[in-house]
Amino acid sequence: MINIAGVSKSYTKKIKVLNDINLEIKPGEFVSIVGQSGAGKTTLVRLLTGEERATSGRVMVGDWDITKLSRREIPYLRRQIGVIFQDFKLLPKKTLSENVAFALEVSGGTGARIAKIVPSVLKIVGLEDKRQRYPHEVSGGEQQRAAIARALVHQPKILLADEPTGNLDAINANEIIDLLLRINKFGTTVVLVTHNKEIVNRLNKRVISMDHGVITSDQERGKYLL
Amino acid sequence: MLFLYRVIKFSLQDIVRNFWLSVMTVTILLLALFSINTLLAARLIGTSAIAAVKDKMNISLYLTADAPDNQIMDLKNQIAALPNIKTVDYISKQDALAAFRDKYKNNQAVLSSLQELGRNPLSPSLMITPSDFDQSNAVIDSLQAIDSPIIESRDFSDNSLILNKISDITNKVNEIGLFIIAIFILTSLLVVYNTIRVAIYTHRQEIEVMRLVGASNQFIYLPYLISAFIYTLFSSIIIIALFYPFLSLIQPYLDSFFAGYDINILSYFVSHFALIFGGEFLAVLIINFLASWFAVRRYARV
Repeated sequence: MINIAGVSKSYTKKIKVLNDINLEIKPGEFVSIVGQSGAGKTTLVRLLTGEERATSGRVMVGDWDITKLSRREIPYLRRQIGVIFQDFKLLPKKTLSENVAFALEVSGGTGARIAKIVPSVLKIVGLEDKRQRYPHEVSGGEQQRAAIARALVHQPKILLADEPTGNLDAINANEIIDLLLRINKFGTTVVLVTHNKEIVNRLNKRVISMDHGVITSDQERGKYLL
Repeated sequence: MLFLYRVIKFSLQDIVRNFWLSVMTVTILLLALFSINTLLAARLIGTSAIAAVKDKMNISLYLTADAPDNQIMDLKNQIAALPNIKTVDYISKQDALAAFRDKYKNNQAVLSSLQELGRNPLSPSLMITPSDFDQSNAVIDSLQAIDSPIIESRDFSDNSLILNKISDITNKVNEIGLFIIAIFILTSLLVVYNTIRVAIYTHRQEIEVMRLVGASNQFIYLPYLISAFIYTLFSSIIIIALFYPFLSLIQPYLDSFFAGYDINILSYFVSHFALIFGGEFLAVLIINFLASWFAVRRYARV
């Protein structure tokens, strides 16, 4: 599903943010990428979404060679990959339902498709009763669930979660992780970037540890080692 | 079709949600258009006045007081046959005196002096009108070359001075006009660029989400270009609605100021409506598109 071969990324000649990363993630896997701030986790996510380009090496997502992708093709790649962030990135002047529908509107979804998909993804994340509420009217956990619903509207094969629990308390954080696990059970590959030790240890899934731009360990059923 | 509908919807939403920013953009475009049209009207008045003066400009060739009629007619015909000559009129001593009396009919001092003199002191002359004002110097050169004993005076230095002054004024009016128009165009460009930049800055979160969920570049860019088109359309319609009443208001003042000259800017703007306002619409649209294009390329990169 994701194949990263010999990837390095540097912004200046001296400092390498990523250094010779080799990684393969199979379809349907749930992978946690852990590491301290500055380890290169977020840069790795940005390489996968086409926001950054690798200085060297190759990044494959499904059949897409992202290192060779043109600007015109990037939007199509992003419709194949769902992404959620620590700060949710919801539009404050739109209701939760409108926020989810927005993702389909901007990518040319028809009215009928929007009317069909939006309620179903809101139901998956448990927000069907709060769909008319604005982001500031719901909790942080519910905002993140709305962001997950938005990420799911294109029925992506991969869901990238960049510190999705960073702004949440323990209860809400666990609810979000449970939701990600459920989505993973449907067959979606989930890549979770986090530095939350408790969550990683509870998952008992594959853990990739990073430090100073290199992979320091890759465990099939791992724990948070740093 | 759905794409176009959504792009227009997003553009209209953008204009309405940033109502005061939109009002400011249209106002600044209006000010620029009003200034350009006022400048155009001023240039029109200036060039019309200069053209009227040019039309009335002529060269006088003074003849000896005792010049026989047949020699005067020969000279007249000789000059009329020269290139760049429109008309040659003979002004006899009597005609010159009558014109002089008419000109100074309210000036008793001048008329008394004439009375005191007891004779007609004026010379007969040939009044020569060039076919083209700009060829006046060539006509003067030709007149200087004519060898005739009945020519009393051929000092055309005053004419040359006036000719040079008028040409100088015309050139300066054109240069200053073009310079001011260029400044207004540049100002409009910068203002529109900054307005779109502010609009994009206020929408950076929305643009970020659009990028995140896979909106195409066109979907992100086009609403801003459509907004630019709508701003142009509004400002053009409003300037037409404002400028004609303004011209109607100032036309009577121009009529009284330029009495005897046909300077009608209102009818000029009516007869050149498509050229002036169509041209301005296209120019502002191109400026707006360019400004929007640079702003979105710079601030809404996908």
